[in-house]
Amino acid sequence: MNNPVKFLFFFAHRIGSICVNSIIKLGDILIFLFDCIRCCFLPQFYPKLILFQFIRIGFNSLPVVGLTAIFTGMVLALQSYTGFSRFSAESVIPNVVALSITRELSPVLAGLMVAGRSGAAIAAEIGTMKVTEQIDALKTLSTNPLNYLVAPRLIAGIISLPLLVLIGDIIGILGGFLICVYVLNFNPNVYLLNTFNFIEFIDVFSGLVKAAVFGLVISFMGCYQGFNTKGGAQGVGLATTYSVVSSSILILFLNYILTSLFFKL
Amino acid sequence: MKLKINIKNLSKKFDEKVIFKNLNLKIFQSESLAIIGQSGSGKSVLTKCITGLLRFEKGEIFFDNDYEISELDNYNLLKHTAKFGFLFQNAALFDSLTVKENILFKLNSSNYEEILNKVGLDKSISNKYPAELSVGVQKRVGLARAIISKPEILIFDEPTTGLDPIMAYQINKLLKKLVVDYKLTTITITHDMESVYEFADKVAFIDQGSISWYGKIGQINLNKNKQLFNFINGIN
Repeated sequence: MNNPVKFLFFFAHRIGSICVNSIIKLGDILIFLFDCIRCCFLPQFYPKLILFQFIRIGFNSLPVVGLTAIFTGMVLALQSYTGFSRFSAESVIPNVVALSITRELSPVLAGLMVAGRSGAAIAAEIGTMKVTEQIDALKTLSTNPLNYLVAPRLIAGIISLPLLVLIGDIIGILGGFLICVYVLNFNPNVYLLNTFNFIEFIDVFSGLVKAAVFGLVISFMGCYQGFNTKGGAQGVGLATTYSVVSSSILILFLNYILTSLFFKL
Repeated sequence: MKLKINIKNLSKKFDEKVIFKNLNLKIFQSESLAIIGQSGSGKSVLTKCITGLLRFEKGEIFFDNDYEISELDNYNLLKHTAKFGFLFQNAALFDSLTVKENILFKLNSSNYEEILNKVGLDKSISNKYPAELSVGVQKRVGLARAIISKPEILIFDEPTTGLDPIMAYQINKLLKKLVVDYKLTTITITHDMESVYEFADKVAFIDQGSISWYGKIGQINLNKNKQLFNFINGIN
């Protein structure tokens, strides 16, 4: 690469091929997303599988989401106290805890937790089915794999995440309440009154909308990576990693976009 | 004999690797065709193109002289794929379902026990999961699942791979019985010449992306194809 013109061409070629490949990949993902969403509304339907996935993605994630929420609420109360006590504004701690939990922390942390737990499991399960030809077997049994494997997971993800977040909201606020009342000696009635008087419908609703979007992202990325698994055990491992990483990044990115949208409301 | 599948100038590649180039093959109704060739020669890829599990770049595959596969939309392609009963190399049983659920997948067939008997299985294994079964039993379950829906064509992908000689012999005998009993069109992909001699009517040998020898089983030892001779006799 001594010739600068050659180097420039090589550099431009590399940049060009990265751009083209990225666009192809993005197109591939969008086509798959369109097919998946379409399959949620077209027969064949599998209500039993939806319920099964609802239990796996939603109900089984309850302990981890609950623990995350309660500790986050507790830490938030302590940290807020540290800051607000410097200018004698301790009374706003219930408001800050409630607002932070419902609008931001509960949906984002629940999303990240479920991405690590259920998103990885979805990618691993579908990836294993792909490399062991079980997905091909489904087709020979006149079953559309998107209807059978993807649609139940998407529907379960979209429904279960908002429910998890709603429960996370309550537990998170409870965490803040416990710290403020039992450690920082707040009056419990005043704390609860402050919380419920301050919180608005849009605070909770925006968190639930975010959760539904994150549920779709987690299930979809798990399914997409699973369907695109190549090779054997190593391929399944990679699909799992990509699923968690891509879901997490998308959750953080979409959180910003959705927050910006709700900010204008 | 009626032409069942007609493959014309089939070309398939993965990224830059060419698997087939202008491959031609005819498969007739009720005939038992064995496709043989070295590992990586594209035998499994060929059956996946025929069944519609894989799309191909060039060429045509006509089914029953009725339609051409690459022209089918996804819905009709799935209907086409369902015409095949497929015994996969590793059986491809659904891990999360029991033997009975695997075999009766989406069916309410009353002949479940009859099919179990046909493949030499006892109904006591009905509630077991695939992980609890030996490879030989998994293949039998896979076979039961493939035949219970009465497909037009049966495909056996390496039916004896991973089996001990006794189990391989039993599977070969079982497949021969099924081929004779059901009088179905069958395509068998195999390295195992025992399987070929056991139940193939015709043999297609794939080499370097095309069918380099095709003929009746009785003619296979009379051929003058050097690659086929080496393959049959295990000469490198």
